[in-house]
Amino acid sequence: MQKYSNRSVSIDKLKEIACKARKYLLLISAYNQGIHLGSALSVIDILTVLYGTGRVDFLNGGWDRNWLVLSKGHAIHSVYAIATAMGYISWTELRDSGDIGSILQNHPELGAPGVDVATGSLGQGVSIAVGIALGIRLRGKDYKVYTIIGDGELDEGQVWEALATASHYGLTNFIPIIDHNSMQLDGELSVVKHKGDIKQRFSGLGYRVYIIDGHNIDEILSILEEVETSNSMNIIIAKTVRGRGISEIEGTPKQRLSREDALRLVNDLKC
Amino acid sequence: MILNIDKHDLASLTPRDALGRALVDLGEKYGDVVVVTADVGEATRAKYFQLKFPERYFNVGISEQDMIGVATGLALTGFKVYAVAFSMFLMRAWEQVRNSVARMNVPIKIIGTHAGFSDSYDGASHQCLEDLALMRVLPNMVIINPADACEVYEAVTASIGLKSPCYIRIGRDFSINITCNLDYKFEIGKAVIIQEGTDVSIFTTGQMLPFTVEAVKILEEKGISAELVHFHTIQPLDVSVIEKSARKTGAVVTIEEHLVRGGFGSAVAEVLVQTYPVPMSIMGATRFGHSAKNPLDLYKYFGLTSEEIAARAEELVKIMKRQ
Repeated sequence: MQKYSNRSVSIDKLKEIACKARKYLLLISAYNQGIHLGSALSVIDILTVLYGTGRVDFLNGGWDRNWLVLSKGHAIHSVYAIATAMGYISWTELRDSGDIGSILQNHPELGAPGVDVATGSLGQGVSIAVGIALGIRLRGKDYKVYTIIGDGELDEGQVWEALATASHYGLTNFIPIIDHNSMQLDGELSVVKHKGDIKQRFSGLGYRVYIIDGHNIDEILSILEEVETSNSMNIIIAKTVRGRGISEIEGTPKQRLSREDALRLVNDLKC
Repeated sequence: MILNIDKHDLASLTPRDALGRALVDLGEKYGDVVVVTADVGEATRAKYFQLKFPERYFNVGISEQDMIGVATGLALTGFKVYAVAFSMFLMRAWEQVRNSVARMNVPIKIIGTHAGFSDSYDGASHQCLEDLALMRVLPNMVIINPADACEVYEAVTASIGLKSPCYIRIGRDFSINITCNLDYKFEIGKAVIIQEGTDVSIFTTGQMLPFTVEAVKILEEKGISAELVHFHTIQPLDVSVIEKSARKTGAVVTIEEHLVRGGFGSAVAEVLVQTYPVPMSIMGATRFGHSAKNPLDLYKYFGLTSEEIAARAEELVKIMKRQ
């Protein structure tokens, strides 16, 4: 049975957390040039559901619980923002993120809340997640390993190595979620390097592929419940938009804002 | 010796057989030891572990980068992980070792086999002469280069208690067993003084040990007293032994089955240049390998022989006398 501490949380409450988290992301970007704002905004609704329902926690020890691996490590500020919205981090700590004295670094490092695995080098988190899922299974348990993978990250061969290993070992507790915002550093996916038919590529490796709207809290909740009780390998392609929620950067490759713009936009965002 | 075993049982094994044996013995003693490999269970003898403990053995196929990540994940859930593959192709996962293992200081044990010239048949593409340099630069990484099958067993079993990651590089079949008959205690980080001397220090690591033993005899006949020290552990280096020996003899020759830049010789030079600089001669490979019927052909081809070692040591002594 799926273990989460806040099963009864309402969709409205989750939307509220996501909205607050978006405000905090804007506030971070006013002070921290190390943020990847667009990338953090595309994944924030998914992460809000995972943390908001208590599926994963910000402060962890031990192996016997669900894990979150943010293989798309540059979106870590999303985690910090949600943690602040939920009261685990103070605003001043958040504001100092990325500073030399802060434990809230610009990619996941051990010691920061919400970080189970240090990532940042694309592709590597997926293999680690598979190893964690394997370790949990080896101990006879079914704790889930939610793994967030970027769509640009799919260029890295290691991702496919890991996906093949996971399905070879039937690790159904490994739950990969692709944050499919159609953008990578040098531009749109199809312009930089085509990914082919990723649905086919995944199903070829034995995964049942689900495509959802990555900004629809309801859909995210339903799909998680579906895959968590499933006996097959599943992969979720969450269609998202870079910069979603902030109209000025939505759909653009923009990852940073000036302090002026960021503070102005915070006021525009109504929760 | 962590596990009670008669060293003479090991003397007849090849380095990779000794690895297989060590993994099985560890698996028997510790229920939380797991082994991961990248399609080389057979070639590395990790397969012996699979035969006894199939539920704790994982093969990720020809995917060394994935292997390192999976090993890391397993370790994060509390298992004691041995990740076994060919040294050369583990290097393709260097960045994973750097970014997933060393950075998080995850105590997985990475075993690279077929290192140096041990894989004589497969030629340059497989003969790994760079691994010590690459691993050495990483913080938190313990590095062991055992001399023979007996030391392979010692190193692999001793690594179980390490709290930081380690890299152990071993050969394949070729092994001239010296340490099996040696009365010493294998301790990670502790150099082994094989013979004391006064005129020149010869520092060896890994499978070069037997050639240095012969070189010392050649030098003896020429009236040169050589001090021979074996370093199975490259990192952490036994700094006090290095300095003490250099102060005594005033000249140091190092030898390794590895390229001359960045490896064992460089590590020793880094120590001496900052504490007690002495003339040094760093011996090793100077270019990529080659196909051959036997590692001995490759040692000869690249000048890694007892005659060459003795000649270098003699040369160094002459230089010293002139100064």
